[in-house]
Amino acid sequence: MNSNQLIALAPIITIAVTAVAVMLGIAVRRNFILSCGIAAVGIVIALSTLGIASRESAVRATLLILVDAYSLFYMALLLSGGLAVLGFCYDYFKEREGENEELPLLLLTALLGGLVLVGSSHFASFFIGLEILSISLFVLIGYPLNQSRPLEAAIKYLVLSGVSSAFLLMGMALIYSQCGELHFSGIGGYMTSRDNISAMVLSGTLLIMVGLGFKLSLVPFHLWTPDVYEGAPAPVTAFIATVSKGAVFALLLRYFITTYSYDYTPLLTVFSVIAGLSILGGNLLALLQTNVKRLLAYSSIAHMGYLLVAFIAGGRISSMWVVESVSFYLLAYFITTIGAFGVVSVLSTPQTEADDISCYRGLFWRRPWLAATFTLMLLSLAGIPLTAGFIGKFYIFTSAADGRLWGLLLAVIVGSGLGLYYYLRIIVVMSMNVDGAAIKPPQDWVSTAILAVLTMLLVWFGIYPGLLVNVIQSVSYAME
Amino acid sequence: MIELLGWVPLFPFLGFLILILAGERLSKPLIAWVGVGSVAASALLAALIGAEFLNGTMQPYRLVLGVWMEVDDLSIPFGFYLDALTVTMLFVVTGVGFLIHVYAAGFMDDDPGYARFFAYINLFVSAMLVLVLADNLVLLYLGWEGVGLGSYLLIGFWYEDPNNGYAARKAFVMTRVGDTALLVGLFLLFTQLHTFDIQLLMLRATSQWTSGSLLPVAAAALLLGGALGKSAQLPLQSWLPDAMAGPTPVSALIHAATMVTAGVYLIARTHALFIMAPSVQFAVAGIGATTLLMAGCSALVQTDIKRILAYSTISQIGYMFLALGVGAWSSAIFHLLTHAFFKALLFLAAGAVIFCFHHEHNIFKMGGLRKAMPLAFWSFMIGSAALSALPFTSGFYSKHEILLAVFDASPGLWAAGCLGAIITGIYSFRLIFVVFFGRKCPVTKARVGWQMSVPLILLGALALLGGTLKIPLDSVFPVLFNHDHTFDLVSVVTALAPFVGLLIAVLFYLTHTFSAQRLAGSGLANQMRIFCFNGWGIDALYGALVVRPFKSIAKLNKNDAVDGIYVAIALLSRVGCSRVSASQTGRIRWYASSVALGAVVIIAIGWLS
Repeated sequence: MNSNQLIALAPIITIAVTAVAVMLGIAVRRNFILSCGIAAVGIVIALSTLGIASRESAVRATLLILVDAYSLFYMALLLSGGLAVLGFCYDYFKEREGENEELPLLLLTALLGGLVLVGSSHFASFFIGLEILSISLFVLIGYPLNQSRPLEAAIKYLVLSGVSSAFLLMGMALIYSQCGELHFSGIGGYMTSRDNISAMVLSGTLLIMVGLGFKLSLVPFHLWTPDVYEGAPAPVTAFIATVSKGAVFALLLRYFITTYSYDYTPLLTVFSVIAGLSILGGNLLALLQTNVKRLLAYSSIAHMGYLLVAFIAGGRISSMWVVESVSFYLLAYFITTIGAFGVVSVLSTPQTEADDISCYRGLFWRRPWLAATFTLMLLSLAGIPLTAGFIGKFYIFTSAADGRLWGLLLAVIVGSGLGLYYYLRIIVVMSMNVDGAAIKPPQDWVSTAILAVLTMLLVWFGIYPGLLVNVIQSVSYAME
Repeated sequence: MIELLGWVPLFPFLGFLILILAGERLSKPLIAWVGVGSVAASALLAALIGAEFLNGTMQPYRLVLGVWMEVDDLSIPFGFYLDALTVTMLFVVTGVGFLIHVYAAGFMDDDPGYARFFAYINLFVSAMLVLVLADNLVLLYLGWEGVGLGSYLLIGFWYEDPNNGYAARKAFVMTRVGDTALLVGLFLLFTQLHTFDIQLLMLRATSQWTSGSLLPVAAAALLLGGALGKSAQLPLQSWLPDAMAGPTPVSALIHAATMVTAGVYLIARTHALFIMAPSVQFAVAGIGATTLLMAGCSALVQTDIKRILAYSTISQIGYMFLALGVGAWSSAIFHLLTHAFFKALLFLAAGAVIFCFHHEHNIFKMGGLRKAMPLAFWSFMIGSAALSALPFTSGFYSKHEILLAVFDASPGLWAAGCLGAIITGIYSFRLIFVVFFGRKCPVTKARVGWQMSVPLILLGALALLGGTLKIPLDSVFPVLFNHDHTFDLVSVVTALAPFVGLLIAVLFYLTHTFSAQRLAGSGLANQMRIFCFNGWGIDALYGALVVRPFKSIAKLNKNDAVDGIYVAIALLSRVGCSRVSASQTGRIRWYASSVALGAVVIIAIGWLS
């Protein structure tokens, strides 16, 4: 391994070392602030190593990991997301009973899994990354051990994730049986050498799709989503909704482009069905939901459906375009979703999780800034102009129209209409007047700062997306 | 100094912003200082700029503050244009506006909406200044709609009374009819001449179009439509009497001195276009003459002091239209100027009377006020003298000039104008004799504060002497070569006409030689009185022609057929929601098997497709 490869792997190594450091720190002294501090420093160092790594061209660090502009972009995205979630975790858990020091450690290992996932170019690293991520998540979801809800959610996720991993492994095995290759580019070589894809490879790819579809909570593998989102602590939910899904989607896109799977229409047909069902199903499920966490869970199903539309359209346009649109949408989705769950997490107290819509009644009068932030996040989720969500939605519409996916475009339009209904409902509830004086909010400075940054980014990318689009376009060249 | 032109409309706008944002928290004197002070600053600046301009070469000055919008070959700047016409209008708007603001500070003193009032009226002044300063038609239209908004807000200022809200809506909707015509006219001009700049438009119109052809006639007719709505001329005049529901300073400023003359200004500003369309220009004169007679007759029989003045305003604007129609552009603007003085004076004096009578408007419940309110009495005397154009008052100079010019164009129209002058004399002095002479009525508070008396005195001086303030408009308008009428018969008849009216008023209302009741008592005359009282049935006509058919159509579609589609969509979504929600059982067995089931289904789809 030469120095170039070491530099390329630096973010992954840094996160792994930080996890060990946090563990050692706990062994010396149990202190939640210290744990969070080490973890935060580690993530920041990892982010800064990205800057060094980005000067190099694509580096194949070992057989398993490929570090190019694409993976660096997603690593940056995941690390930033992880940092924001860590901040919310700090405020959420600092007042709670129990030994919370291991939480940053688990967050780091989950992040490590995500980093491996977005850099992987091999089935082995793919599976290892996914499992590191998932196993950390089981514990994170069930972290408040003495409560029944998180425990239930953790066990559900554990069992179902196991089921989906079984499908995933079976799919890999089927593909390996035909190609004799585990490397993505090897599989790509096999695919291009045939005119017709064999039933085994098709089934294998579809079984992989089952596994990934589960992680992305696409219909019909979505049933776990609301239960787990509701049960998990709010910051962890934010992590599942963003970092976990983002990493998996980035991998899916890389796999599809590297293996030339776009050339096989049966796959795209299946994807179209899944996308359409996810958009309609997610939005319909959210329509009359009164639990905000469940509502956001359903809406995330719909958002993954939208993302899939851009993904499918990429097959008809160009892989560069699909990377651009998917990356922008994911970034906007990260900002918005972390912000929305951040608000939920700020409002939650050690006694109650702020998930029922009644907790939000009159929020504009009690905590106007928080309510304004949440409103912006919801508007962005609904794709209203002047927010990053609008630009993301615009990419989806353009993709669907350019790719001539009229059926899916119709689904996106109907879905957006339905979405507006339930997002606005929360805003209406927040603006209802309630009696009673304003209560002094707890001092959550870290969360407040993160929410402020997220809100600024949301508006900035909504009004001047040009800078970000330039960055993303340079990333998309890497996938040519 | 002239470079600071942009501040003239900006001062009142800043005043508006301060008052609308922080008005409720400011103290009353501070509100008055901001509200009146902003207009005072604007008036001072306008006076300095005007003096500099009039003492200079009188070359038009153009100030571009920035680009408003720029799309393709359409570029609209925030551009101001200053020539002698603009200077005249600036003097009227800021000068008279300032005096009325001072008056309002006293008049509105006990009103809870003090800050709101000054915010709105500052907004109005700002919009009116944009209207007169604009160098392009789009910016003019912004001011045009801005004054419409200000008018709407101020007519409905006392919104607790639904009638006031109705009057405000009526004014807004009726002027919108005209505004729409104006907007279409703007589109027509732009599509044909590819610019909105007024001076360039006039230049291109005269060079590219032939006189009397379809395009200039259509464009001029559409602009005229806008002018008719704003200036309350036939057939869109019936909103103005109802607009008297607003506070009296508003009636003085908006519905007498400034906004309602915007139509006159628009036609004068685009006079080159009207010269290109002789038929439309003749229509302007015809409409003016008809309106001045109809409104004069209505003013004769009103009993509400403000409605008399409102009809008189319509009638006087009719004179201005008459002047525009015969090409006496500068006479029209001159009459606009003097009318602003004496009509503002009359309204403010009427406001003082109303103020002292606790918002009583009926003139027959007043009487003998000559001694109790000498200031109001003399204000009314001067105002009415100028209104009916008695010699050596300001109104005499302007109206005399108009009627002589009209005589050269058409003796028939001149006769109508002279008849109108007689009617003006009758209703002006009828008002005075009924209110200030005769039986004495007890007055509760006969004293008005200095804020109200000083503007009355100043406006009185202007109404009396304003005839000497003639601003040279020859640099703007083509010169009209008049015959010399100095002491011929026409001139003498024109000058004597108001005296006839005065005499009739004396006989009927002062000496009671003849009885108006007896005259109006008989069947036909009484019906005519009621007909005139109701503004010649215009409202009833529109009710039958427009409102009732519209309501019946609306009633036909009471259940909104199109809405059914949306209701169905909502219903469908709810059903869909409850169906798919049933799949969320919370049972892990079902969740796991759904994953397996889903796998089977997608593999099946993959194989089959």
